[in-house]
Amino acid sequence: MNLAESPKLEDFGHDVWWIILIKVVGIFAFLVVMTLFTIWYERKVVGRMQHRPGPNRVGPIGLLQSLADGLKLAFKEDIMPKLADKAVFFIAPVISTVCAFTAFSIMPLGGMVSIFGERTPLQLTDLPVAVLLVLACGGLGIYGIVLGGWASGSTYPLLGGLRSAAQMISYEVAMGLSIVAVFMTAGSMSTSEIVAAQANGSQQEIFGSTVTLPGWYFLMLLPSFLIYFISAVGETNRAPFDLPEAESELVGGFHTEYSSLKFALFFLAEYINMVTVSALCTTLFLGGWRAPAPITTWWAGANEGWWPLLWFTVKVLILLFVFVWLRGTLPRLRYDQFMRFGWKVLVPINLVWILLVAGVRVAANADNTVRYAIYGGFAVLLVGIIMFWPAKKQVEPASIAPEKLPEGSFPIPPMDLVVPPSPRTKRIEHAAAAPSATPEQGE
Amino acid sequence: MSTVLALAGEVTTGEAATFYILAPIALIGAIGMVWARNAVHSALFLVLTMLSLGVFYILQAGPFIGMVQIIVYTGAIMMLFLFVLMLIGRDASDSLIETLRGQRTVALLLGIGFAGLLCTGLGRAVGSMTSVGLDEANAAGNTQGIARDLFTKYVFAFEVTSALLITAAVGAMLLAHVEKVKAEKVTQLEMMRARFAPGNYPAPKPGPGVFAATNSVAAPGLLPDRTVAGRSLSALVPTRELTEAEAAPKGTEK
Amino acid sequence: MSLSPYVPIVGLFALAAAFALFSVAAAPLTGPRRYNRAKLDAYECGIEPTPQAAGGGKFPVKFYLTAMLFIVFDIEIIFLYPWAVSFNALGLFGFVEMVLFIGTVFVAYAYVWRRGGLDWD
Repeated sequence: MNLAESPKLEDFGHDVWWIILIKVVGIFAFLVVMTLFTIWYERKVVGRMQHRPGPNRVGPIGLLQSLADGLKLAFKEDIMPKLADKAVFFIAPVISTVCAFTAFSIMPLGGMVSIFGERTPLQLTDLPVAVLLVLACGGLGIYGIVLGGWASGSTYPLLGGLRSAAQMISYEVAMGLSIVAVFMTAGSMSTSEIVAAQANGSQQEIFGSTVTLPGWYFLMLLPSFLIYFISAVGETNRAPFDLPEAESELVGGFHTEYSSLKFALFFLAEYINMVTVSALCTTLFLGGWRAPAPITTWWAGANEGWWPLLWFTVKVLILLFVFVWLRGTLPRLRYDQFMRFGWKVLVPINLVWILLVAGVRVAANADNTVRYAIYGGFAVLLVGIIMFWPAKKQVEPASIAPEKLPEGSFPIPPMDLVVPPSPRTKRIEHAAAAPSATPEQGE
Repeated sequence: MSTVLALAGEVTTGEAATFYILAPIALIGAIGMVWARNAVHSALFLVLTMLSLGVFYILQAGPFIGMVQIIVYTGAIMMLFLFVLMLIGRDASDSLIETLRGQRTVALLLGIGFAGLLCTGLGRAVGSMTSVGLDEANAAGNTQGIARDLFTKYVFAFEVTSALLITAAVGAMLLAHVEKVKAEKVTQLEMMRARFAPGNYPAPKPGPGVFAATNSVAAPGLLPDRTVAGRSLSALVPTRELTEAEAAPKGTEK
Repeated sequence: MSLSPYVPIVGLFALAAAFALFSVAAAPLTGPRRYNRAKLDAYECGIEPTPQAAGGGKFPVKFYLTAMLFIVFDIEIIFLYPWAVSFNALGLFGFVEMVLFIGTVFVAYAYVWRRGGLDWD
């Protein structure tokens, strides 16, 4: 694989001003187009999953539907509720949107390209602490939601904002822990270096035998990948974790009182966040902008020039498909189940997994005594977990024996009530028992 | 690699410009935090200051600590502040009544005195100082440099931090956790029994009905003889007398 | 370590802020304005709205506990990052340190779990 095309951290920060301008506008346009496309894509996919065609009126195969919806929103009345806290109500969607856009600035979209003769990485910028920027923007984006909910001065948005804040901070813990193993393996927090680290398979010694592991981290760090993706769904408030805007309970959640372009901004931020977490997932676990293995074997140039942008977008779209797939498949969780899952399942598994990865890596480079000590430690940990695993409570099966209710109770039907068959069932059973009999009499 | 602030006085224009833009913003945030009447607005101003501080750290060639400032202080600690403020409700604002006479004047004088003390002290200590060794400290990268110091030289302090974190968790539990006694937990079976037990009526309560002037849950339902249906009164929602204007049908006219 | 890699981030930030502020400011101008008292009331599924949000806009104390736990874990994570990045340099010593650190924080976690601080009902 050609690593010469892979940008180093030193390659960033040398662009002339108009290259920066082109890149900034390019990223902005990419995100807006991705949002418009993702909304259409989601509606189309979920439509197909429910045996309906989805949007197909505006533009070819309905592609312009979300653009039309967005334009329509601009011409809707902008409502400022009487009880709203004016300034905060005004600023909340701005916070959400700005944080969503800014988080994308360190995504590596490709290797070195040449724009009007200038050689530059196909990435807005990169920092030694790039991934932390995404986390910081995610943390600040929560303000948009919680403030929007609070400032509306209404019950549903308040509850939605409240739930959302607690949900996002809980899943941020799981997300933050899940990427530790990636930093450990890549030895860097810069996105371009993490992508470069996944370019080649690594020689790893496991239990004495040397094996070549594939480069992409989602294979080597599968638990991290799964936890990251689950917490990404929680972090972006998507189904089945879309409790902040559970329609059946909270109408629209934090944005119930928002209308017109302010609502559109929240919508935009939500979809950009989806794209961002998918892009980060691609970068951290799916080899970033590099072409998947079978393509590079018969086409050496797959990672050169502008092609990486295609691989990157395809990978992001596949992850977005999983988002939609989850939405189309799983029912919404109850809030207590959701929080229990985050705090009692994802967090401990994550911590144990980090120690496991660290232990295996230390053991690979250590002498035998240390190695046996570490493996012994894991064995003790394993036994401990098995010993202290909370036993599942035996639930007594409910009896259907008629219960003696005290005098004056509200009358209830007996538990062993047998419903007499309906006339229709009787008729069908009758016809099935005697197929040769005369056909059903007309009604 | 060129360094920022490698030598005293060597400040790049970009750095100076960022500082002069952000320093007033940080100050506005700090002043606004004290000035704002609404507690949530205060917290938001403080967020602004914290954010500017994070950028200042990045400016001082500490990108890791800058990001951590944003993640931990603005992301986590200010969120806690916001939660606490929302515990008291959105209408909580400062009371302007002095409980101690002359308190405000004394506080003002003390504040100015303290600020003066801090400024002169810091000015004397840092003003003529030449910073050295930034290049060496960041030679392997800022994060790596921090890791090297934190996990070798300051390992004891690092381990003690975990004890602090335990204290924080235990403190939060003691303050905010209401322990549920096992026996108090009502099972679904018991709830169902109670629902059909004598004295309880499991069917839905009557709605406001056609004789009511409003369909609010806060208004009691009326029986055909215009008397209040007792069962429609909720123990939780206080009965609210609607004003004439509220009860009037709402048209789209002005 | 120079500041130039941060310039594009500021650029994107500025563009996004300009776009968002423009949209929010333009919203009242582009749409129609038809006054209606009911429309400006808080939305409550058709019933007469209560004069204030639930409980006067207050959050239950439970959320305070969640935020506090979040801070505890956030700080733990922040310590994990530099450790993970220079893991190879720190070697066995770093591993043992981190086992102790995570173990200690885990005690707090187990305590909160046992006392029911992680339960929602």
